[in-house]
Amino acid sequence: MNTARRVAVGTVLAIGLLRATSPASVDDAQSFALQAAEPYVKEGFQVREDYWGGDLGAGEKKAVRQQLFKGNEYWFWMGTEVERAKISVHIYDSEGKLVEQPDSWQKGHFAAAHVIPSATGSYFIIVAVEESPEERTHWALVYGFR
Amino acid sequence: MISSFNLKKWAGYALAAVAFSAQAAQAPQHIDIKQVSKKVEDVVVPLPNEVFGALNKLGPVNWKEYVRTEKGANFTERPRIALLLGTVIADGFIAVQAEDAPAVKDIGQRVLALAKGIGVGNSITPHAKAITEAADKRQWENVRQELDRTQNSVQQAMNEVQDQKLSQLVSLGGWLRGTQVLTSVVSAHFSAQGAELLHQPDLLEYFGQKLNAMPEYRLPVIESIKGGLVEVRPLIATGAKPISPDAVKKINLITTRLDGEIVTRQ
Repeated sequence: MNTARRVAVGTVLAIGLLRATSPASVDDAQSFALQAAEPYVKEGFQVREDYWGGDLGAGEKKAVRQQLFKGNEYWFWMGTEVERAKISVHIYDSEGKLVEQPDSWQKGHFAAAHVIPSATGSYFIIVAVEESPEERTHWALVYGFR
Repeated sequence: MISSFNLKKWAGYALAAVAFSAQAAQAPQHIDIKQVSKKVEDVVVPLPNEVFGALNKLGPVNWKEYVRTEKGANFTERPRIALLLGTVIADGFIAVQAEDAPAVKDIGQRVLALAKGIGVGNSITPHAKAITEAADKRQWENVRQELDRTQNSVQQAMNEVQDQKLSQLVSLGGWLRGTQVLTSVVSAHFSAQGAELLHQPDLLEYFGQKLNAMPEYRLPVIESIKGGLVEVRPLIATGAKPISPDAVKKINLITTRLDGEIVTRQ
């Protein structure tokens, strides 16, 4: 193998190694959450640029609080880059009652919850990593309204 | 070759199919909110257009009446610029509601100037350009999206340089202007449903906590806002009772006074 070829092969291997070992981030999780939101944009939902994110161990939950307005309709989309993880998102009102619509869904590393608030006020969005092969799993949650 | 557009399109279809075929998630019907409340993350502050959208569904609103494009005062104090920037972005959403292209373009330039004044102009330049282009084409949905991106970029740029407090002031400025306009609209044609949109006690508490954690910003306008939030709290904390027309008028007077202090030099 000549020198130029060795350098080229070495560079490709180094890039491959870098990609394999580069740490995933909440930004990666956010891109999956946005992917889950994409079909709904065509239905007129405005997806907020702001988002929540972090990392959780398997079986861990986190609550985020959100002001919702009666008259609007909301979807919350959650994603993680860990493809073998199972995640969930659910919405409760300030009394702790589950208020999401029956078309809310969860499928592997995507989940979504749909709510049409019956009152204006604070709601709790509970995100969870149900199962994951990773010790810590990045998650991100975006929302949209119309 | 499959273009990235087609890939995106197919990813969208695939996810729509996933959503259709996915099982509805099993979740407890009731949770103990007191347990949950201890572990709650910070709130995401709604954009003004979120509440304006809900307001629009209650009946027609003459948004042109609320469009504001005056340049107002120039400030050198960064907290004052941050508050004003939030207010001006909210004005952008109002101009979009009114579908007023010249106002949107003026506001886009004002946002850029203020962002430069606070040292985050670079992150805003492409958004300001996109706002102008979308306003020229009257693509209001794109303008809305760019205004959201503008606020997000400003706040991210501030967070990156550990200026989270200024970022919170941008949100607060926008919320105050949005609440001022909301109360003006509801006062003009009172309805219980319109007044209910003011039921935002957790946001008031959130802003109050954030302001109390800014002792270094010893500015009269910050002290006024702190006092104003305390005045507003009992007016919206009505429990199960509806928010009264009198309370809406009082909140309007308070937020109008605070907005005046934000936009003018005293």
